[in-house]
Amino acid sequence: MTVPAPRARRSSVARFVAAYGQEIVIACALIALFIVVSAINPRFLGANNVNTIVSGNAYIAVAAIGMSMIIITGHIDVSVGALIGVLATISGTLAVSGYPVWVAWTAPIFIGAAINGGVGALVAYGRLPSIVVTLGMLSILRGGLVSSTGGAWINDLPPAFQIAQARWFGAPAPIWFMVILTVLAFLWMKNTAFGRSLYAIGGNAEAARAAGIPVERRTVQVFMIHGAFAGIATMLFATQLRVIQSTVPPNLELTIITASVIGGVSILGGTGTVIGSTLAAVLFAAIGSAMIFVNVSAYWLRAVIGLLILVTVLADMARRNREFWSNQR
Amino acid sequence: MTARGFLRHETILALLVLVALFVLDRQSDRFLTVDNLFNQGRLMTEVGLIAIVMTFVIVTGGIDLSVGSILGMTAILIGVFWKNMGLPLPAAIGMGLVVGAFAGFVNGVIITRFKVPPLIATLGTLALYRGIAEGVSEARSVRGYPEWFFVLGQGELWGAPTQLWIFAAVAIVAAVVLAYTTFGRTTYAVGSNEVAARFSGLGVDGAKIAIYSASGLAAAIAAAIFVSRVSTTRSDMGTGIELDAITAVVLGGTSIFGGRGTIIGTLLGLVLIQSLKNGLSLAGVKSDGTVVLIGAVLILTILISNLVHRDATR
Amino acid sequence: MTALVRLQGVSKSFAGIRVLRDVDFDVQPGEVHALLGENGAGKSTLIKIIAGTHAPDSGVIRVGDVEMRAITPREAAKGGIATVYQELLLFPDLTAAENIFLGHAPKTGLGTLDWNQMRRRARELLDSLDSHDLDVDVKVGALSVANRQRIEIAKALSQNARVLIMDEPTAALADADVRRLMIVIKRLRERGVGIIYVSHKLPEIFEIADRVTVLRDGALIGTLPIAEVTEQTLVTMMVGREIDHLFPKPEPNFGATVLRVSNLGLGDRVRDISFELRRGEILGLAGLVGSGRTELALILFGITPATSGVIELDGRPVTITSPRQAKTLGIAYVPEDRGLQGLVRPMTVAQNNSMAALSHVARGVFLDLRAEAAKAAAAIRQLGIRARGPDQIVAQLSGGNQQKVVLGKWLETAPRILIMDEPTRGIDVGAKAEIHALMGRLAQQGLAILMISSELPEVLGMSDRVLVMHGGRLVATIDRADATPSTVGAAMAAASHAGEAA
Repeated sequence: MTVPAPRARRSSVARFVAAYGQEIVIACALIALFIVVSAINPRFLGANNVNTIVSGNAYIAVAAIGMSMIIITGHIDVSVGALIGVLATISGTLAVSGYPVWVAWTAPIFIGAAINGGVGALVAYGRLPSIVVTLGMLSILRGGLVSSTGGAWINDLPPAFQIAQARWFGAPAPIWFMVILTVLAFLWMKNTAFGRSLYAIGGNAEAARAAGIPVERRTVQVFMIHGAFAGIATMLFATQLRVIQSTVPPNLELTIITASVIGGVSILGGTGTVIGSTLAAVLFAAIGSAMIFVNVSAYWLRAVIGLLILVTVLADMARRNREFWSNQR
Repeated sequence: MTARGFLRHETILALLVLVALFVLDRQSDRFLTVDNLFNQGRLMTEVGLIAIVMTFVIVTGGIDLSVGSILGMTAILIGVFWKNMGLPLPAAIGMGLVVGAFAGFVNGVIITRFKVPPLIATLGTLALYRGIAEGVSEARSVRGYPEWFFVLGQGELWGAPTQLWIFAAVAIVAAVVLAYTTFGRTTYAVGSNEVAARFSGLGVDGAKIAIYSASGLAAAIAAAIFVSRVSTTRSDMGTGIELDAITAVVLGGTSIFGGRGTIIGTLLGLVLIQSLKNGLSLAGVKSDGTVVLIGAVLILTILISNLVHRDATR
Repeated sequence: MTALVRLQGVSKSFAGIRVLRDVDFDVQPGEVHALLGENGAGKSTLIKIIAGTHAPDSGVIRVGDVEMRAITPREAAKGGIATVYQELLLFPDLTAAENIFLGHAPKTGLGTLDWNQMRRRARELLDSLDSHDLDVDVKVGALSVANRQRIEIAKALSQNARVLIMDEPTAALADADVRRLMIVIKRLRERGVGIIYVSHKLPEIFEIADRVTVLRDGALIGTLPIAEVTEQTLVTMMVGREIDHLFPKPEPNFGATVLRVSNLGLGDRVRDISFELRRGEILGLAGLVGSGRTELALILFGITPATSGVIELDGRPVTITSPRQAKTLGIAYVPEDRGLQGLVRPMTVAQNNSMAALSHVARGVFLDLRAEAAKAAAAIRQLGIRARGPDQIVAQLSGGNQQKVVLGKWLETAPRILIMDEPTRGIDVGAKAEIHALMGRLAQQGLAILMISSELPEVLGMSDRVLVMHGGRLVATIDRADATPSTVGAAMAAASHAGEAA
């Protein structure tokens, strides 16, 4: 941090707050939630409950990492929920057909990357808007899933397959996955030329091209990475229970997009971090659990999350508008 | 953006519809029958109503993801107004329509007044409105509607399914408004260059709020028809219908970036999707296989149309 | 000395239309080579060929000693060719340091980005451009246009640029920033950088250029040392004819006061403005960029309503809160940014022409497309818009003709007050003269015109009175008779010293 010549410069704290404003807000909201709810019902803060909250939803956070990269690059993927459904079925089928469990775990990662590589190619080289391509993929994957399984569940999964129920060093495996992947993805996006090029493309694709970034190739690659994260999310999702249903939670793709957006990833591309999206995914899960602990009907969960989205977004817009005006001088 | 530019995509699509109808007719002699077509019209009406107004939304460069939730919320509220609050059913439906339009109005205000991108705003209200439906209903369904109400969704009027008349009326009005009125011109201008539209003294915010309100109203009308068609009310009604409607609109040639699109295109998109669904199932293809095909058709049509356009402009 | 870049016999066509034919061009180390021409003369195509974005159809390009048919962007970067574009190609959400080093950032031993080194070197580069006050950690989106341009130049230097292409670098700069830019350019020249300088502004070219090349209709008209040309010869080379009456202003004929503004203000951006505008008058509004001129126009047009003061139309006080309302009151605004604010570019001439007056081409709520086309045809005739017809898409027209469409759009509303913000920015000399003639005619017919302009000759040539703004305030009102470059310039300069603290 040696910079010559004294001049007016913001302190490193101010810089940190400016750069990670949304992440800080979510973290504070999360802490506030834990304090308030555990004051009402101390059992909320029990290690078991916290583990359950986080591990049951870790797959959403993991999928949101890939989604954040896609949105930062200036695209969107509305098919990821259906993709996770398809990959879960593939994974379960492999597991019950006698393949080693590591094959069943990793196959979705490669297949996810391959499928989304195709999506990325259509977006990058076919010059189709990503929302159109993934809308089409949503139909294809959803229909493909149901027609291949006929709606049947996969039962009798081998116990060794249940990685989501494993505990490592006293914590559920999904939490390890979530934390490690989030940190790695964050560092990778912050400190590598590849990671920064995603921000550049999302911020100004023309300028990125002029700066020598191979925009098309990067687009395909980021879709593949996103597919791989969907594959890892599948691994955590499909191994939660003894059965794999041929459905995923309704609106899963929108939940994942929401986690990214609430976490501070601008839908217009170019800004945000995966720390934010992971925190947001945890926050949703915590709110769901908190409602039970303070005796609010769980039926209102979605309404609360909807309100939360709107409040966050409106606050964010208000902040941006203020910045905008202060820059005009 | 001349008339020719507008038509190019629609022409491709119309040919595609004709080919599909011809092929499907060869597969099953039950496909091109009046009964079957009317029945398909019934099934198409709810998503069709939403898609028609969605065309306006997307032409302005916006999107409305909350329509499925508005449908669910309105359906639940109609049931609650009627059964729990004891209102006469017509009044309950009327209030449902008001609620739907108001829900759309709220979307419009969030988007125009607070400058929230439509995707985000309606993503939020998607959760909120569905949440209200779930919270109010607590997963209980409402049944036992009076017999006369089923005319709307299951009966006939002047020899055709009742809801088809509503759909036809809405489609014609929407087509005329979009193509031939000052409001339609404003809609295109907003989608092509919102700043210039504002600087030309056009009522940009007013137009947008009107369009999102209409979108909510269309979803509410669809809700009433849906409830009448299936004789029951559940809170998960209409889940995912927003994506079906957007698919039809985009397939119909409306640019997702705004400024370009027609009602005719959307109608062709709807017909193509519905006839594929129906024709293939008559031909023995499972309905889920059809969904796959619709996705593929969507991607391919836009790809082809893109290629044609690129050749034409360079 | 060998040229850094040399083009020989380069031609290029788009869709069958020749935009460059058989052009020779070269840049020597340590020279500023100005590139001049009307819009559509082929300047941008030429610099895009050098920057590697377009491949020529024929001809030879030499970068240093290497001869090639075409340059790719990558080869251009490797050959030390960098461009500072008119629309700055930066990433608003990334920091200054990162913008400078994007695509070629210093790395640590692990292959990750070396943020400390990146920030240090960014600091050094900005210091070498005399931008000590520019924080390397600030997001570029928060910077002024002049500062963004410095980032662009630093970016070019960070790649060891030996040829720097500058496309209209001063178009959006205030005077003080233009002077700073000139100093930077001279410093770069001393270091041996070759600079290709594209501009419409002749005084700058005479200040900074060593040689000047003029293009017209895609053909090379000549390359001459700056000492051998005058403004007059350059203009003649550009347009191919003598422009005798650059500002043909008919005798004014003032009527009653239509607009009276008293103590108008908007926060601290526009403060305490009072003036009057009469029928038939052209009121010039001079001042540096950022002095509050456009902000004042936007208040009168209802985009950003005033927070204090009174606006009176025909003696009646009004509050204007939206462009729609301004339009109803008879106020029209031809905006500064034609492509963004003025036109819906994918729409036709007819559709743009009727955009502000849809009710004039409608029966009830229904559009009368035939009436719309007829009105557009009339506008094309009266304003001399060079278009194939009402159905042509506006994006295909040249800048000058696009500007006439914007003007035509507002004339359809039959306004009483016409605000024109930079009415001739970025349009060629011929169209400029036509628009000036048109303004004179409109004023003579009784229209009250408020003209904002950064070009002093335009202000002096067209205005009946000149208002000078600085720091959001009105600092001088000068009558036509007293308005000379020195009086108006002095008002702006004196104000700029007095207002330095603001």
